[in-house]
Amino acid sequence: MKITKETIKSPIKPTWCPGCGNFNILRAMYAALEELALEHEDVVIVYGVGCAANEADFNRIYGLHSLHGREVPNAIGAKLANHDLKVIVVGGDGDLYGEGGNHFLFAARGNHNITMLVHNNWRYSLTTGQASPTTPQGTVTKTTPEGLIELPFNPLQIALTAHATFVAQGYAGNHKQLKEIIKKAIMHRGFSLVDIVQQCITFNKVQDSAWFKEHVAELGEHDSNDWQAAFDLASDDRKQIQSGIYYQDEAILAYHEQIDCLKAGSMVGQWQDSVDIGKVIEDYV
Amino acid sequence: MSISQPFSFNWKIAGAAGHGVMLASKLMAKMAKRHGLQSFNYLEYPSLIRGGHQTGQVYADFDNGSCQRRALDAIVIYTQESFEIHADEITDKTVIIYNSDFGKLKDEYLKKWGKQIHEMNLSTWAKAAAGTSLAANVVSLGVTAYLFGLDPKICKEVVADELKVEKLVEKNKVAFDLGYSEAEKQLKPLMKITAQKDERILLNGNEAIGLGALAAGLQFYSAYPMTPATGLLHFMNEHKHKLPVVVKQVDDEIGAINEAIGAAFAGVRAMTGTSGGGFALMVEALSFAGTAEIPLVILEAQRKGPASGVPTWTEQADLQFVLTAGHGDFPKVVLTPGTVEEHFKLAQQAVYLSEKYQLPVIILSDKYILESHQTMPKPAEAYQLERYSMVADKDLPADESYLRYKDTKNGISPRAIPGQEFGLQLTNSYEHNEWGFATEDETAITKAVDKRARKMKTILAELPQPELIGPEKADITFVSWGSTTNVMLEVVKLDTKNRVNAIHIPCIKPFPIEAFEKLAKSAKKLIMVEGNSNGQAEAWIKQQTSIKMDDHLRRYDGRPFYAEDLLEYVSQQK
Repeated sequence: MKITKETIKSPIKPTWCPGCGNFNILRAMYAALEELALEHEDVVIVYGVGCAANEADFNRIYGLHSLHGREVPNAIGAKLANHDLKVIVVGGDGDLYGEGGNHFLFAARGNHNITMLVHNNWRYSLTTGQASPTTPQGTVTKTTPEGLIELPFNPLQIALTAHATFVAQGYAGNHKQLKEIIKKAIMHRGFSLVDIVQQCITFNKVQDSAWFKEHVAELGEHDSNDWQAAFDLASDDRKQIQSGIYYQDEAILAYHEQIDCLKAGSMVGQWQDSVDIGKVIEDYV
Repeated sequence: MSISQPFSFNWKIAGAAGHGVMLASKLMAKMAKRHGLQSFNYLEYPSLIRGGHQTGQVYADFDNGSCQRRALDAIVIYTQESFEIHADEITDKTVIIYNSDFGKLKDEYLKKWGKQIHEMNLSTWAKAAAGTSLAANVVSLGVTAYLFGLDPKICKEVVADELKVEKLVEKNKVAFDLGYSEAEKQLKPLMKITAQKDERILLNGNEAIGLGALAAGLQFYSAYPMTPATGLLHFMNEHKHKLPVVVKQVDDEIGAINEAIGAAFAGVRAMTGTSGGGFALMVEALSFAGTAEIPLVILEAQRKGPASGVPTWTEQADLQFVLTAGHGDFPKVVLTPGTVEEHFKLAQQAVYLSEKYQLPVIILSDKYILESHQTMPKPAEAYQLERYSMVADKDLPADESYLRYKDTKNGISPRAIPGQEFGLQLTNSYEHNEWGFATEDETAITKAVDKRARKMKTILAELPQPELIGPEKADITFVSWGSTTNVMLEVVKLDTKNRVNAIHIPCIKPFPIEAFEKLAKSAKKLIMVEGNSNGQAEAWIKQQTSIKMDDHLRRYDGRPFYAEDLLEYVSQQK
């Protein structure tokens, strides 16, 4: 059955704070899936742990609600087992850049055909508002009472240097653009990162909705084939964020396309009712 | 076997890393196998690429060669320190071949073993025959073949089959011949081995696990290299095109287990492997697989710990860690195979059990048997495969009432996988209801925990049971698990007075309480033999059963037990 904005809703109503940016991102993802006319059973969403990942319960779709930070390797495994599936990762900034940071780098450099939707609110919110990898330096939180010492993680530049082939900046407050970015990311040949900035109305009082409205603008004219231009563009000082597709390279084969035995079809599809290990045994005679 | 021919031989080669000791030793074991002998090839090597002390030793026997033996019939020595290191293995009958290209022998060695030492310029000969001194190892095999009365034709077939590359094969055959003819000039054969029918294969524990997993339809293996599990990753890469199977080296062990989980969720039979340190990183995901009911096989290849430990040496000290691994309460199975053949069989069983019962199955083994080559009967080539506990498309209700975690009598809930139209489900690391949605409801939580626990009752009838090795009645009954059982087979064979038998435990969790108690209660004296310092299996057995051991033997210096030492213990008992 084709996904629609209604059929994908589970009986469980979202438990996010009223006004949370997650609502906007979820709505944009639903719209993207509907417009792509994908079947329910052909999409898998792998969730980490956090406010964003809690949407596992709100979606009626094949899902794997993973551990904190581990959704990326789960997604890679699922894709390698059945590359006919569209595999989407949903997590937060703490989830995917902190706990799962290493997995993110390796997914990018492998050009695994998975889509990472990072709900980036610059805070750990499910654990009530500690600093995350993207929190600006100097920010006072419960765990950084003297102000955060570390400099913020730059997801876009990191993805670019890790050879990601699709890198985009989304904004929860721009539904139309976000929906289009997500569509392109899902249909992209290889690894796609969509970092989506969003407000956390409860634990981030500094970058609230008004702040984002003021500081986010759509990316103007830009050649998304130009890696260096994308890299330079991504070096924003977090005072002015430009949303849009920074970089895309469709020429590079996805990881699974380079695995010999997957050329005959997915591993799931290649299952057979018998196996012959005679050729393996030969080497040990 | 004709009476006139010898029963067995025991041979060792000692040198440094880079001398080709390990290759020579494997070739020797295979040459023995091709003569119809059962052979065991035990390797000791340091954690470095050049230098250090390295040995390979082959014990081969027409009856059973299940482990390494101490008293050597012959030893090939490159490095002089070997004389001291292996002094206790050299008897007054041991033929010592010294590669005299490695310098003038110390007077003390000549004084002690002069009559047994044969100085041979193995490296010089190798250079003359093959153009490289590296072929000295194969020259030494030619010498050994003459010494043991092996058929040079059979031996050279092994050289050809193992080295494969034609140019390399030709050179090494010449090297072998030169060793053989030089030996004819200087030595007298110790024995004459007449080739018998060979119906076995020779492989190490890692390869046997790989072969078993493939025979069971494994389609996905992800791992991060770590001794002594790396051999399985290499095996999978070597053979992946023949099956097929997706083999992936991952960023770390956390990634390795999580990729396997993702693959299993999507519907393929998946496995990962590592050693203790890597397994420590996997434990978080183990608990995930347990509660989410993901079918997953994990090789935990023990090495000498703790921490970085002594990486290329053996130990059985991860048992308690593996038994209790994972936060929270969830079902899992821990298999502890002994022989290489049992590694093959239990790997098949592990894949089967994990899918049928939708849980993690850990194969707990160790460096000793995973990296030792042992002969086993050639297994069947073709296997019928079935899917277990999965739901067919036609059985999925169109009204979308399918429940991933349906509360069933035996605890097993038929599994739908992505791609099935009416099988939508959420596989969840959070506690969940029958659909898979997270729950905090007290009744639903209890129901879910109980459902998973029921699988452990259902599975009991299918688990491998403890096994009595040797005579039914004996004065001493050794108890062993995992690789130590290989030594038990030798102990029982050597004990001509029927004083000893042994109980082998191939599945340690869930513990086969009833079957073990039955065997243990008919024993006169129970001695626990295991490779750790704090008696981990002994404590586990005490916790699980009413059985208390009378004594124990423990080894934790990185070395395996020797049958000779266990028999010495037996002879000291009244």
